[in-house]
Amino acid sequence: MVTTAALPLLLGITLALAARFAVPAASPVVTLFWAALLLFFYWDTLGPPAVPPVAASQKLIYLAFAGIVIGLPPGRVLGRATSFVAAIAFAAAFLWLGWRRLAGGSLDLQMIAALAVGLLALIGAALLIGRQPSPSPSAEEPFLAPAAVLALSFSGAIVSVLGASIVTGQLLGSIAALIGGWCLVQYLAVLRGGAAASWSKGVEFLLLYASATVLIQVALLAPKANPAALILSSLPPVVAVLMRGPLQGLLPGTRPLRPLVAGILIAAPAILAIMTAIVWAPHGAALGFS
Amino acid sequence: MRTRKLIAALAFAGASMLAVAAHADNYEIDGQHAWVTFTVKHGIYGIAHGQFDGVKGTIALDKADVSKSSVKAELDVGSIHTAFDQRDSDLKGPDFFNAAEFPTISFESTKVEKVDDKTGKVTGNLTISGVSKEVTLDVKLLNEAPAPWDATLTKAAFSATGKVSTADFPMAKAADGFGLGPEVEIVIDLEAIKK
Repeated sequence: MVTTAALPLLLGITLALAARFAVPAASPVVTLFWAALLLFFYWDTLGPPAVPPVAASQKLIYLAFAGIVIGLPPGRVLGRATSFVAAIAFAAAFLWLGWRRLAGGSLDLQMIAALAVGLLALIGAALLIGRQPSPSPSAEEPFLAPAAVLALSFSGAIVSVLGASIVTGQLLGSIAALIGGWCLVQYLAVLRGGAAASWSKGVEFLLLYASATVLIQVALLAPKANPAALILSSLPPVVAVLMRGPLQGLLPGTRPLRPLVAGILIAAPAILAIMTAIVWAPHGAALGFS
Repeated sequence: MRTRKLIAALAFAGASMLAVAAHADNYEIDGQHAWVTFTVKHGIYGIAHGQFDGVKGTIALDKADVSKSSVKAELDVGSIHTAFDQRDSDLKGPDFFNAAEFPTISFESTKVEKVDDKTGKVTGNLTISGVSKEVTLDVKLLNEAPAPWDATLTKAAFSATGKVSTADFPMAKAADGFGLGPEVEIVIDLEAIKK
C-alpha cells in the first residue's frame, strides 16, 4: 500500500510543488523527473528489466522507456506528426504485447475487448496529444490530460485487480496516485485564485502511453477482467478531447468549479468501469491465493 | 567413386540408426496415468498443493547407455488444479502461469546420468511463460512389465522429484507479493507406454 499509493501520491505532490515554485512545468527537467518516477515504479512493481523480454509483462518497462524516448524531445520536434507518431506507437505496442494471442487466431470476447481497448487508446491518445494549445487557456485546460490519465489508470487498476491481475493493478495504481498528487496541488492553486501548471506534450504522451499500454496488457491477458469495464476504462482520453468541443457547454461559469466538473465528466466512463467491474465481479474474483 | 562414397555413407547412417533403435526403447507418456504435482509454501502458514492433468510427451530410454536417453514433455497450463476453482483461475492468470500468452509448460532433457540400475538424474530445460531454466530431476524407474490384461502392451513407471524457484520465471511477485514459495517442489509419477 505504501509503494502503490502513499509514496507515489507524495512524489506527485512534491513534483507539482517543484513545478510551481522551482522549475517551469513545461521544462525538460520536469519531463525527466516524470520519466524517472515512472521507471522507478515500473522497476519496483515488475522487477528489473528482463533481457530479452519474452512475456508481455516483461515488455511493459521497455514500452514505458520507448514512451519516454518519444516524449522527451521538445514538442516542436515532432510538430504536426505528433498524432501520427502516437498512433503508430500504440499500434506497435498492441502488436508487440499481443502477438502471441493474435497468432493464436481466436477472436473471443476477451480478444474483441482487447482490440477495442487498443483502438480507443490509440484514438484517444492521437487526438489528445495532437490538440493545439489554446491561445487563452481556460481554467480546466491544464487538467484535461492529467484527468484523462488519472481516470484511465485508476479504473484500470481496479478492473485489473478484480480481474486477478494484481501486479498490473499495482502499477496502474501507482501511476494514478502519482498523477493524483500532481492534480491535487494544481487544483489547490486554482482554488487560491492562481493558474494550474500544464504538462508538456512529452509528459502527456509518456504518461498516457505508459498507463494505456498496461491497460492493453490487462485486456489481452487477464481472462477474468471484465471486458465492458476494460473498454470503459479506455475512454477518458476521448472524453478529455470532447471537453474542448461538445462537452464545453456542460461546464459551469464559476472558474474554480470548471476543472472539477471537467474532471468528473472525464472520469465518468472510468466510474462506470469500476461499478461494472465490481457488480459483475465473480465472487471474490481476485486473490484466490490469499 | 562418388557413388561408392554415397552408398557407404548411407550404409553407415542406416547402421547407426539401427544401432540406436536396438538400444533405445521409446515410450509415450500415458496421460491418464500421469501425476505432475507440486507443493509451494503458502505465506506464513502451510503448504499449498497443485497438479497438472494435461500431460503428454515421449521418453527414449537406452538401458545399455543411459546417457543416450532423453525426455520431452509438455503440460497444459489450463489443466492446473489446486482444489479451489478461484485459485486455479488465478494461477492461469497473468501474475502466475499466464495461460493466455503461454498455454503450455515444456521440459526437454539435455543430459541423462545413471546413478544406479534404477535411478538417474535428468537435467533439462524447463520452459515456463517463455523463459527456460535448467532443472535437474531425480528419476527412478519403478517398474517395467507387460500389462496383465494385454501381453502386447508394455508399460514403464517412473517417479521423479525436483525443485524450481518462482523467481526464475516471469512470476517473480509470487514470493514477495503473494507469499508463495519462492521454492516449488515437484513430484512426478507417471506411466509410459512402450512403442
